[in-house]
Amino acid sequence: MKFAVDRRRFLTLAAAAAAMPMAARHGAAAEPFNFQASWINDAEFTGYFIALDKGYYAEEGLDVTYFSGGPDVIPESTLIAGKADLTLTTPDTTIKAIADQGAPFRIIGAQYQKNPIGIVSLASNPINSPEDLVGKTLAVPPVNIISVEAMLKTSGVDRSKINIVPYAYDPTPLIKGEIDASVDFTTNVPYTIEQAGAEAVSFLLYDFGFTIFNDTVVVTEDALKNNRKNITGFLRASRKGWNDNFEDPSVWPPKFADSWFKGTGRSIENELYFNRAQQPLMEHPDGIFAMSEESIEANIEALNAVGIAAKREHFDTSVLEDIG
Amino acid sequence: MTDRAGIRISRVSRVFEGRGATVQALDDVSLECPAGSFTALIGPSGCGKSTMLRLALGLDHPNDGEIRIGGLEPLAAARQGLTGVAFQDAALMPWRTVEDNIMLPLDVLDKKRGAFRAKVDELVDMVGLSGFEKALPGELSGGMRQRAAIARALVTTPDVLFLDEPFGALDQILRRQMNIELQRIWMESNATTLLVTHGIDEAIFLADRVVVMQSRPGRIGQVIDIPFARPRQSAIFSDPQFHALEAEIAGALDGH
Amino acid sequence: MATETLASPRPVPRRRMAGQGRLGTLRNWGILLVLWEIVGRLRLVADGALPAPSAILQRLWIDWSDYPPHIWATIEGASIGFLIGNALAIAAGILFVLFPLTGRLARGINIALFALPPIALSPILVITFSGMTPRIILAAIGCYFITMSATVTGLSQTDRRAIDIVRAYGGNRWKVLRLAQLRSALPSILSGLRIAAPNAVLGAILAEFGGGGRFGLGVYLIGSLGRGEPDRLWGIGLAATLIAGLAYGLFSLIAARLTGASRAVTMPAAAPSEARAKGFLRETMIVLASIALPFLFWWVLLYAMGTPAMIAKTPPALFEYLFLSPQSATNLGKLAAALAQTLPMTIIGMAVGLAFAFALAIGSVLYPVIVRAFMPVALVTQTMPLVALTPLLVLMLGRGHSVILWITVSVTFFPAFVTMAQGLSLVSRAALDVPRAYGAGPLKQLRLVTIPASLPYVFASTRLAVPRALLGVMIAEWLATGKGLGNLLNQSRGYLDYGMIWAVAVVSVLLSVVFYQLVVLIENRVLSKRGMSPAQ
Repeated sequence: MKFAVDRRRFLTLAAAAAAMPMAARHGAAAEPFNFQASWINDAEFTGYFIALDKGYYAEEGLDVTYFSGGPDVIPESTLIAGKADLTLTTPDTTIKAIADQGAPFRIIGAQYQKNPIGIVSLASNPINSPEDLVGKTLAVPPVNIISVEAMLKTSGVDRSKINIVPYAYDPTPLIKGEIDASVDFTTNVPYTIEQAGAEAVSFLLYDFGFTIFNDTVVVTEDALKNNRKNITGFLRASRKGWNDNFEDPSVWPPKFADSWFKGTGRSIENELYFNRAQQPLMEHPDGIFAMSEESIEANIEALNAVGIAAKREHFDTSVLEDIG
Repeated sequence: MTDRAGIRISRVSRVFEGRGATVQALDDVSLECPAGSFTALIGPSGCGKSTMLRLALGLDHPNDGEIRIGGLEPLAAARQGLTGVAFQDAALMPWRTVEDNIMLPLDVLDKKRGAFRAKVDELVDMVGLSGFEKALPGELSGGMRQRAAIARALVTTPDVLFLDEPFGALDQILRRQMNIELQRIWMESNATTLLVTHGIDEAIFLADRVVVMQSRPGRIGQVIDIPFARPRQSAIFSDPQFHALEAEIAGALDGH
Repeated sequence: MATETLASPRPVPRRRMAGQGRLGTLRNWGILLVLWEIVGRLRLVADGALPAPSAILQRLWIDWSDYPPHIWATIEGASIGFLIGNALAIAAGILFVLFPLTGRLARGINIALFALPPIALSPILVITFSGMTPRIILAAIGCYFITMSATVTGLSQTDRRAIDIVRAYGGNRWKVLRLAQLRSALPSILSGLRIAAPNAVLGAILAEFGGGGRFGLGVYLIGSLGRGEPDRLWGIGLAATLIAGLAYGLFSLIAARLTGASRAVTMPAAAPSEARAKGFLRETMIVLASIALPFLFWWVLLYAMGTPAMIAKTPPALFEYLFLSPQSATNLGKLAAALAQTLPMTIIGMAVGLAFAFALAIGSVLYPVIVRAFMPVALVTQTMPLVALTPLLVLMLGRGHSVILWITVSVTFFPAFVTMAQGLSLVSRAALDVPRAYGAGPLKQLRLVTIPASLPYVFASTRLAVPRALLGVMIAEWLATGKGLGNLLNQSRGYLDYGMIWAVAVVSVLLSVVFYQLVVLIENRVLSKRGMSPAQ
């Protein structure tokens, strides 16, 4: 079925267009910009917190509202509903929605050059490669089933020989040995396992053939056309935030203990581990958010292999080019 | 006040359709109770006497025929506060105190409670419930509950009084006392009264005439006038004429 | 005459028994706690995944500074939802009793609201509304059906004689409602509020869990889940239980004060209701309308809110998705396969859940002390978010049928139990006096009087259990087994497959409606044979 622009959104756009000359006249007034994160507040979003706190967005003339994510927040949906101007997504979901449902999304950047999702297991019962999974029980968040199946396919492992069960956010069954491995952010779970007194091993799906980005930066086609200036500003400021962060990944998380990380139930040590672990997955010679032609090609290939009709046109590198 | 409310039941029929079975509860029944008269309805169970009462109260509607209370539809009469009623079991609201139960008709009829204060006290005293004004029905004996129900029936000083075996739950001694009491009240109020009862002696003692009903289908068998002068004393219970009437009614009940 | 005062000697021994009972209950709670402590300390259950109470408290102490903003946020969402949901429910219940036609027409909408799986609803609410609104809505929906049913049950189970006496004085329907029905329905409404309270808390937490806010116990829970620390999760569950427990206790207290005075003094011998001759055409129209209304409501709501078409599937769009589009065959196939896995477990789970509720309700008459000791445990199962319990359950029960059964029973039995227990407690004293006079023991009294007399409540609780059972199975599938409708729903969320999300929601609602109607049919037959009227 075709995507239809709804009445309300159309009206909002019309109103925004009408208001534009006014905003130009006033010049300095910061423009509201809504950013929907893909998960609850943790180190995954440190760069944005820095950019907010240090006023990098304000320097771009943006008044950014930050929306935390969660399991029921489907980032792409917030774009369609007009609640957010820009969001972070997993590319397989986004491209599947574009290809199957004609959703008007464009991927304009990638936070993670390498998807941090991987297979985590205990060192006492290690799973170091897809082949080791045969005959084992693997917990997979239902959302990631496609990715796992893709990785198994490229590795030539028979899916039917693996007992796949749902993964419900809590690593306890893995720590207690009820399952042999689980699919999760390798930047995060190994820390928890170590805290519980065990040792973890992990490998990335990326390293076994599922070569996709993660936390891809997504906007609607409309916004890319009509709100380009602000989107560019947001990306430029965010990159500055991330650059600050990676100068020394140990500096920022403790500063957010009483603000961004307050009451999340997670520890600052955990965020520090996360922040250090994500650095190699994010950095790129062309800067944070870069999407090189080779990596776009790798994404398309990996997605095509699992039957998601990804195309080059789903990725738009023009904003990245603008910010240099 | 002879033009006060009387009861006129003309050619009333009522059929109940249960599952499969059809019961002719009343078949073409007519009965006239002149204003100020006291009529007792007596009959075997299932003869339709309770149905007749429910029809007269407007709780049920006849399939055929009509009923007038003081010339009005039963419900219209009730809304004007013409009627008072006491049911077979007390039907008190378990969460209301004795006093509040007695004043229930005032609440239904939107009458100011304050104006009836003295009346309520008098009634409580009359039915022997002094000291229990604030008690809940659950804390009373069956007889006490029944007396509260009588007081409730009288609180509006009704022109027409419907009594559905009001003393059924009382013992014989209490019942006689209540009968004498009721007669006194009735003579004072001069209300048109329709009493449904099982007790032959009660019917004779209280009523101007006794209507004997028969069942299947429910109909009026015989109407027997009671000639005793009022006020009747308890001595008449041992009067030979009283026994003769008892025998006559018993005979009518057996279908003779 | 004056000697014949307070005739019933019962109040005195009752009070004494109650005193003993309270002590006994406390003692049993103590035993339970000690047992739990031992089990937790010795890591007897699931290799220590069930922490000891002392460990939970210790952890709560350490985490305490985290809690206040979360607790306040949850209380705010839950209590606003509780107020709105219950106000609507009571108003609707009154409307349905005053004008029975409206009740029959709204039946489809009512069941749909009850049967809509929150896991399907939450993402849609989160997209459509912002801030506290999704939490309030989920909390309100959690209350609506239960309180509405309780209101209708209470109003329509009013003693006929109380209604007659008001009508005999010319009281109109409003007067009957005000003077007789509302007050006599109060215990029933209160027991509804009692079950609604934990539901409101859980509804708010569920919306917090997924909705991406900063504060609320649900937000704290999602952040804490990844840490693999059961004692923290139990602490959060405890806080949720405490909030719900306070509300539950409050309404229990009010109910206990009022129920004694509301209990009918004698057995109402209501005339068997007449079989009214009804037009077949009219009846069919009403049934059709009650089925069509939820669809219409759904359509109008989507239109009014202007939700984008990709997210919000209207009935025709869903029809196209399932029957007309090129992928229809695949979609239908997935749906059918999932249904085949979910349906049998739903029926079994419902049966077991009801049996347990019934046993518990009877137990509360026969062994009140033991059952009262169990109540905190029961309450924990109602307010402890299942997602926090899943690791423990999976470790204890595996990922097969037993975990589905466990979760299903735990979400089914509580409302059923409260409803049944209330039915048992409303049986009149006089009715019990007869078998008692013949020396019947408590068991015989139950068999001869209490159970038959409370049959309408048994059926009412069965009706409550139907959609809950389906929901329980779906949650278990989503969290533990990875099969059936629950899993399909969760996967579809990940793929932005909104067509499937709506399809699962509609199928689960339709299933509930079919089961519900089936129960109503059996209920009408059984009750009319016994000359009773259904509790709605």
